[in-house]
Amino acid sequence: MEETQITPSLSVPSWSSASTQDQSSTAGQASSTGPQPSKSCVVPPPVKSKGPSPGAGVRRMRRIIAEDAEWSVATVPLLTELCIQHIVKNFQNNPILKQLLPEHQKKVLNQLSPGLPLAVTANLIEDENYWRRCCTQRWPVCHVDEHGGSWKRMFFELHLENLLKHFIPSTTDPEVILSLLPLCRNYVHTIRVDQFLPPVQLPPPLRGGDQSDSSSEGEMEEPATGHYQLGDLVAGLSHLEELDLVYGVKDCGMNFEWNLFLFTYRDCHSLAATVKACHTLKIFRLTRSKVDDDKARILVFSLLDHAALEELDLSHNLIGDRGARAAAKLLGHSRLRVLNLANNQVRAPGAQSLAHALAHNSNLVSLNLRLNCIEDEGGQVLAHALQTNKCLTTLHLGGNELSEPTATLLSQVLSINTTLTSINLSCNHIGLDGGKQLLEGMSDNKTLLEFDLRLSGIAQESEYLISQALCANREAARQRALSPSHFMSPATAKGPENLAG
Amino acid sequence: MNPPGSLRVLEENEKEHLATPIVGPSIHSDNPQERIQARRLRIAARLEARRREALGEHLDGKESEEDQSKSYKQKEESRLKLAKLLLCGTELVTNIQVAADIREVHRRAEEEEIKRQRLEKLENEVKTSQDKFDEIAMKWEEGKQKRIPQELWEMLNAQQVHCAGLVEDKNKLISELQQELETKHDQYVKDLKKQSGDICLLLERMEEQVKNVMKTFRQELQYIEKAFEVERQELLTSNKKKWEQALQAHSAKELEYLMNRIKKVEDHEKQLNKQRIWDCEEYNTIKIKLEQDVQILEQQLQQMKATYQLNQEKLEYSFQVLKKRDEESTVIKSQQKRKINCLHDVLNNLRSKYNKQVKQFQEENQSLTSDYKRLVMQFKEMQKAMRHFALIDDKQFREIWLMNEEEAKDLISRAFDVDRVIHTHHLGLPWTAPDFWFLKNVGPISQQQRKSATQILEEVLMEAEEEGAEEAASAPGSYLDLPKQVSAKTTRKILMLLCDESGFLIESKLLSLLLPLDKNECYLLKLDAIFSALGIENEDDLYKLVNFFLKYQAHHSPPSQERTSLVSPLEKLDLQGEKEGSLVDREPQEKQPPPSPRLIHPNDVLKILEAFVTGLRKPRDFRAPVKLLKVVRDDSKDSEYWKALTTVIPATTLNLWDALYTALEKYHLVLTQRAKLLLESRSLERQDTELRQLLQQYLDAKINSELQAPPTQVFRVPTK
Repeated sequence: MEETQITPSLSVPSWSSASTQDQSSTAGQASSTGPQPSKSCVVPPPVKSKGPSPGAGVRRMRRIIAEDAEWSVATVPLLTELCIQHIVKNFQNNPILKQLLPEHQKKVLNQLSPGLPLAVTANLIEDENYWRRCCTQRWPVCHVDEHGGSWKRMFFELHLENLLKHFIPSTTDPEVILSLLPLCRNYVHTIRVDQFLPPVQLPPPLRGGDQSDSSSEGEMEEPATGHYQLGDLVAGLSHLEELDLVYGVKDCGMNFEWNLFLFTYRDCHSLAATVKACHTLKIFRLTRSKVDDDKARILVFSLLDHAALEELDLSHNLIGDRGARAAAKLLGHSRLRVLNLANNQVRAPGAQSLAHALAHNSNLVSLNLRLNCIEDEGGQVLAHALQTNKCLTTLHLGGNELSEPTATLLSQVLSINTTLTSINLSCNHIGLDGGKQLLEGMSDNKTLLEFDLRLSGIAQESEYLISQALCANREAARQRALSPSHFMSPATAKGPENLAG
Repeated sequence: MNPPGSLRVLEENEKEHLATPIVGPSIHSDNPQERIQARRLRIAARLEARRREALGEHLDGKESEEDQSKSYKQKEESRLKLAKLLLCGTELVTNIQVAADIREVHRRAEEEEIKRQRLEKLENEVKTSQDKFDEIAMKWEEGKQKRIPQELWEMLNAQQVHCAGLVEDKNKLISELQQELETKHDQYVKDLKKQSGDICLLLERMEEQVKNVMKTFRQELQYIEKAFEVERQELLTSNKKKWEQALQAHSAKELEYLMNRIKKVEDHEKQLNKQRIWDCEEYNTIKIKLEQDVQILEQQLQQMKATYQLNQEKLEYSFQVLKKRDEESTVIKSQQKRKINCLHDVLNNLRSKYNKQVKQFQEENQSLTSDYKRLVMQFKEMQKAMRHFALIDDKQFREIWLMNEEEAKDLISRAFDVDRVIHTHHLGLPWTAPDFWFLKNVGPISQQQRKSATQILEEVLMEAEEEGAEEAASAPGSYLDLPKQVSAKTTRKILMLLCDESGFLIESKLLSLLLPLDKNECYLLKLDAIFSALGIENEDDLYKLVNFFLKYQAHHSPPSQERTSLVSPLEKLDLQGEKEGSLVDREPQEKQPPPSPRLIHPNDVLKILEAFVTGLRKPRDFRAPVKLLKVVRDDSKDSEYWKALTTVIPATTLNLWDALYTALEKYHLVLTQRAKLLLESRSLERQDTELRQLLQQYLDAKINSELQAPPTQVFRVPTK
């Protein structure tokens, strides 16, 4: 029996010997063993009684005494553990974290519950793991990459988005959102809201009949209806970079009313002021919100000479030529890199103004005019502008009623331009001849990587050849990317060739 | 569109996982063991990296060769395939969007067309209905004019029918439009369904695409892995083959070596045996020889022993002798020691005596030197006094001389005057003033004596000693007759310079003797020695030397204003005074004011001296040693002088004067008589005038006027 008992004690020799020595030398070393009070008290009393036999060194090493019935291997948890548990329990009332040692901090953070009030945790806890737990508990699907890889930021952004989505003007207390402001101001970089609830109206059923028949003009006359004003919130967020808004209602089902999808002038003005005041804003998206020319102009004029804005997305709205002209003016007065006017009502005049701005612009990288109606007139002007532009890389002109004349001009552009990497001309009426001309243009181009010509009525043969050329270009681009040292020489070598051609 | 993106993200994540090093022990850990391990790992990693860098180029070269291998091909292939797959997949997925787009475009176009038609239709409708309405309205006017009720009724009926028609038209239009709306509604619902179907399809395709892509990616990965595996296997087998070949070659060679070795060993053994036999023989012969040698040597040993005994006895005897001698020598030594002690005592006594005497003599010497000094002082004072008295005597003598001379000259001049008067006035002869040397002489007749150089020196130095009060007087009126163009000061300075610079001319013995002496005396003696060495003996030589110095300086340095300006103003004044005084009898070349000796560089002194000595080396007459006694005036010429003075007037003139004297005596007598007579006549004249005055008085008296006949009128003075 004894031998079997000794073997486990050998695994922790220092531990037991130290404790037994304490017993024998009584108060002599009491002060030195200060940090191990819990350990010494673990030692069972029987050792004391047997202690007087000093000669037996082997016996000293014993931990388990067969005669002691009460003895058990389960030890009392460490005091630190107890303290940590206590801290975790009372974290809401007495948050102690920064004063702890790093390892203890880790333990505490692992045990904290995600349901703690934000007022306690927001500015205290930086640990990503904790916020990860918070996020995964609240939302089943989490894409951290969309929030800069930070779980904390993601938590606050989603939380804020949630609050905004369910905010009902004049019934919900605005303090609910504003009280969050001091907690999240340093962490929120993006606001993405795809619904703004309208204020609750008492007599909606009375008007229901009228509104279903009459157009939106009826509601336009109601000035009182306004959505949540973002002004205060945005002003408080010091790191806000992206604003993605949709003035509409989701999942309305059979309660549908035109009234619900309403972007009033008041909203527009307040939004314009908000955007103007936010100097850190880089990306501004306002989609599917029935923005017409006037509202677009209001917004664009507020964005003129904005210091940081790089991307403007007004797709899926009702913007016409005047709005497009305003956007063209914005191109000349900002550092805009991406402009998206997809699915609007831009026609040839609007395209002309955009082309004029584009011809002298050196910031814009991407222009999207999908599903507009610029037609050949606008397409030709844009192609002319591209002959001088040296910056644009992506151009989307899908579904714009373009035909052969535009294609001929574009083929000239292709042979000259060395910056364009992606062109989309799908859903146009380019035709067989236009396709051939584009193929000719492609044969001189070495930089274009994507050229979408689906459903544009060109011959399959030319489409195939163009795709071959694109493949070659892509291969070259890959080679260049792989060996950056080689990148310079072919680029410079190509430059004069293209100029000569 | 999304799935590929997410896939890419996944891939990237995987890559990141692979890229990040396995999280091992951290350097910042609390456990020291762990930290040590971490550092070790880090160092190992660094070394590895360095090694790789060093081998990098080689590896690259190899890799480029291997690039063409199967794995590379496989990689390229799968990459191309995957790219194609991705492209096709995205195209497939986006096809739906494009289709929707084009449908939308078509729909828009149709919508626009329909809208336009509708608008046209509505416009037409408006026009027609307006026409009808106008017609109806016109008829109302007509109706108002109708008076007959039936007609009116008819017309109203017609009107009603028309209106109903109009309304019906409108209603028809409305219903048409509503139907259109209905159909649009249905269309919208259909579109919605279609779009939802599209979205479903899109989702399906996306999912399919994702699956496809995943599958193919996996497949390709497997292919690539397989390719690598195969390549590795091939490499392994080829390497193994090589290895085995090498091993075989190695073993064959080993065998060969072994055989060679065995052969060699046998050879060596044979050789060893031969050697052993030969060695044994040699050993035996040497042994015999050595034994013979031993016998001979033992015989010699015996002989040596005999001689040794003999020698021992001899040595013992001599040892005894030496002992005895030693005893004797100790006795002598003690005697000598005693003697030495005695002599030491004597020596001590003598030393003390000597010391005493030395002290005594020193004291004596001191007292004597003090005496000597005192005496010298006294002597100097005496000399000074004597010089003073001599000076005064000289002065007095000169004054007396001058006085007498003046008196004599006065007399002589009077005599000359008289003589001249006599000659001119009395004799009517022309008078010529006699010309005698002594008449021009002023002051005592003196012969300048040559002084010896040392005397001059002494004087110069003495004068320097008595600087101050005498300095003012030292310039022209000094009793030292220094060269006129050189002041005493300048001379002194030159001499000092000379003394300082040409110490080598003085004998070292003299120098040691000079040490305790006074500064001036020291200089004096030094200069004396130097002059004797240079051959300067008298005053002239000294002056020559001084002048030589000055001239040398003047010649060898460009004459400049600076130099003269540096000369102290007092000295300059002196020089000027001297110049004026000496203009008469000075050569023109000497007129140049001598520059200050201060400007003679000490280094030049030797050159000057050399030049001087070579210049001076001319035959010189050795005069008798200079007399020490200086001013013994010879008054031999004095009496001559004075006598000559007395005989200024020659005897002939004296005789003349005597004769003249007697003649004049006579003439004087005559003249005195005449004077007497003149006096008589004068007194008579006076009487006459007195009488005349009396007469005038009478005549002028008042009584005359009172008289009737004043006598004045009576007689007129004939004179009036």
